[in-house]
Amino acid sequence: MEQSAVRTSGARVRLRNLSKSYGAVVAVDGLTLDVPAGTFVSLLGPSGSGKTTTLNLIAGFLTPDAGDILIDERSVADVPPHRRNIGMVFQSYSLFPHMTVADNVGFPLRMRAKLSRDESRKRIAEMLALVQLSHLKARYPRQLSGGQQQRVAMARALVSRPRLLLMDEPLGALDKKLREQMQAEIRNIHRSVGTTVVYVTHDQSEALTMSDLVVVMHRARIAQIGTPRALYEAPANAFVADFLGDSNLIPATIVKTAERECAVRIGNRAVIAAPPAPFAAAAGDRAFLFVRPEDMTLQPASSVQPQDRSGLVGTVKELSFHGDVFKLSIAVGDDVLKAKVAREQCGSFEVGRQVVISWTPNAARLLPATSDGASSSESGMR
Amino acid sequence: MTAIAGHTTAPPRMAASSRQRIIPALLLMPCLAWISFFFLLPLALMCWRSFAAKGYSFAAYTVLFTSPLYTKVMLTTVKTASIATVIALILAYPVAYVLTISGGFRRALILTFVFIPYWVDIIVRTFSWLILLGDNGLINKLLMATGIVHTPLELLYNSFSVLIAMVQILLPLTIIILFGAMLRIDRTLIAAAKIHGAGSWQAFRTVFFPLSLPGVYGAGLLVFVLSLGFYVTPALLGSPRQTMIAQTIMVEASELLDWGQASAAGLVLLIITTLIAAIYNRYFSLDRLWGGSDA
Repeated sequence: MEQSAVRTSGARVRLRNLSKSYGAVVAVDGLTLDVPAGTFVSLLGPSGSGKTTTLNLIAGFLTPDAGDILIDERSVADVPPHRRNIGMVFQSYSLFPHMTVADNVGFPLRMRAKLSRDESRKRIAEMLALVQLSHLKARYPRQLSGGQQQRVAMARALVSRPRLLLMDEPLGALDKKLREQMQAEIRNIHRSVGTTVVYVTHDQSEALTMSDLVVVMHRARIAQIGTPRALYEAPANAFVADFLGDSNLIPATIVKTAERECAVRIGNRAVIAAPPAPFAAAAGDRAFLFVRPEDMTLQPASSVQPQDRSGLVGTVKELSFHGDVFKLSIAVGDDVLKAKVAREQCGSFEVGRQVVISWTPNAARLLPATSDGASSSESGMR
Repeated sequence: MTAIAGHTTAPPRMAASSRQRIIPALLLMPCLAWISFFFLLPLALMCWRSFAAKGYSFAAYTVLFTSPLYTKVMLTTVKTASIATVIALILAYPVAYVLTISGGFRRALILTFVFIPYWVDIIVRTFSWLILLGDNGLINKLLMATGIVHTPLELLYNSFSVLIAMVQILLPLTIIILFGAMLRIDRTLIAAAKIHGAGSWQAFRTVFFPLSLPGVYGAGLLVFVLSLGFYVTPALLGSPRQTMIAQTIMVEASELLDWGQASAAGLVLLIITTLIAAIYNRYFSLDRLWGGSDA
C-alpha cells in the first residue's frame, strides 16, 4: 500500500556524445549512453575517470562542451538544475543544517510542488516512513548518525517523486557493515519507487551487487557497459577484467586462430588452447589470457603423472587466509598467477610445493593486449 | 594504565612534566611582563584613581550615571555606533558574498581593493574626508560645476560626515569577517537546494542567508565594539553634537585635568565592551569568528 503511494515511473536518460574538459584536462570524452526507464545504473570507475563529472552534467551543475542530454526524449541543455525535476543524494549528504529532518525532507515540496499544507505533510510522513525515520522528524541533522543522515538525504531526494535520482558515492562515508545494509535498503527503495537511478561509485562490489546495468568508466570514456554478471564473466578489455574483482591477465602470444578455438603460447612455455578471440586477431599477435582466480583448478604436482599434465606447472609462493577462501600466488616462470581454493582443499598446498594449474577452456578469454586498460607495469597477474 | 606507569617511574616523569610546564611559562614571560607593565598596571592605577581622586568615593561614577552630559554623550555614542555598524553590515554583505562565490583572480582583485584603504592610517583617511566633503571640497565643487546645487551643501561637521567616515573605516574589517564566515558555508548545500527545486534567489534566501547569519551577528558585534571607541573621526568630522564618549574622556583628561572622572568613564566603557564580547562568546563562541571549530 505504502509502496504504491510513492511509486512513480522512471525517466529514460540518454547521453549523446557528451564531452567536458577542464582546461587541458578532458574529464568526459564523447560519452554516449542510453539508460532505460526505471533502471538502476552505476557509473563505476577509479577517481578521475569522469563519472562524477558525468553525474554533474546530468544534474546541470556543469554545462557540457559538446553533446546533449535527453531526459524522456527532451533535451535539457537549456534547463537549469532546479527545473530538471531530479532528486540527488550527495556524497556528504548535504542536509541543510539549520532545518529539522522534516523541513529537510519537505524542502523540494516547498520549492517545486505547490501542494497544500496537508498534502505536503502527508508526503513527508510517507517518505519518512519509507526510510524508517518517522520518529526523528523533529531532530536536526547534526543530531543524527551517518546512516540516519543518509536516509534523510534519500527521503529528501525522493519526496517530490522525481523520475530520475542521482547518487554520488552516497555510501562512501559509512563503515562496511552499515554500507552493506544501506545497499540493500537503497535497492529496496528503488524497487518500491520505480524511479531511474544513476549511481556513481568507485567500489566495484557495490556496483555489482546493486545495479541492473554497470557502466565502467576509464580515462573519460566508457570501457564497457553491461549487466554486472556479463561484465564479470566476459570483460571486453584488460581494464574491466582488472577493475572488477580479482583476475589473472597472462601475457600471451597467439599461435593459431581457428573458428572454434585458438592456441596461445605463454612466455616461451606451454601452448594452451583458448576460446576464439572476441576481437580481430592473427597468429603472432600479443594478447592477454584472462582467467578468474576462482576458475583455476589446482592439483599437487606429485599427484599428477608428468605425461598427464595438461596445464601449467608452478610453485606456490604465498598462501593467505581470507575466511571463506584461501588465496594463492603461484610462480609460473616469470609470471605470478593468482588462484583461490576453498578452505577444505587447502591442506594439500604449502608454500614451496609444485602445483599443476588448469582451467576449463570456456573459463578463459582472450583480451586485446593493446587495450587502453591495464598499463604495461601492471599488465601481469593481478 | 598511565597512572600505574607514572607511579613506578615517578621521579623522571616528575622532572619531565615540571620542565614541560616551565618552558611554556618562560616563553610567555616577556609578553606577560609587557602586558602587566603597560596594560594591567595602568589599568589598576586608573581604577584606583577613579576612586582616589574623588576622596575615595563613588562620586565620579555618580556623575557618570546622573549628569545629563554623560547620558547624552553615551546615547550619542551608542546611537552612532549602532547606525555605523548596521550600514557597514549592509554594505559589506554583498561584497563578502561576491568574494565567496568568485574564485582565483577576481577574488584576489576584490580583496586587494578592500584592503588598500585598510592599510592607510585612520587619521589620513579621516583627513581625506575633510578634503572631499568640505565647502570647497571635491564633491561640492563637482555639484556646483554641474549646476546641481548653487550653494555648497553642508556635508561636514554633522552626523552624516561622522557616519560616512566611520563606515568607510569599518568596512574592510566587516567584509573580512563576513567573508570568513561565508567561506565556511558548504557550497554543496547550495547545489543541493538547486537540484531540489530552488532557483538561485530561493537557494540564497532559504539556505545561504540563514547559514550566514551567525557570521553577520559576530561581525556586527565586533564592529559595534570597535565603533564605541572611535575618537579621531568624530573629533575631526563632527560637531560638538556628535561628541562620543572617547572624546569626552579626552577632554576630561587633557583639558579639565580631571583624571578621576576620565578614569571612571574609561573603565565603564571598557566594562561595557567586555560585557558585549562576553555575551557574544557565550552564545556564538568568539573563536568561530576567527575560523575556529564550529562545535
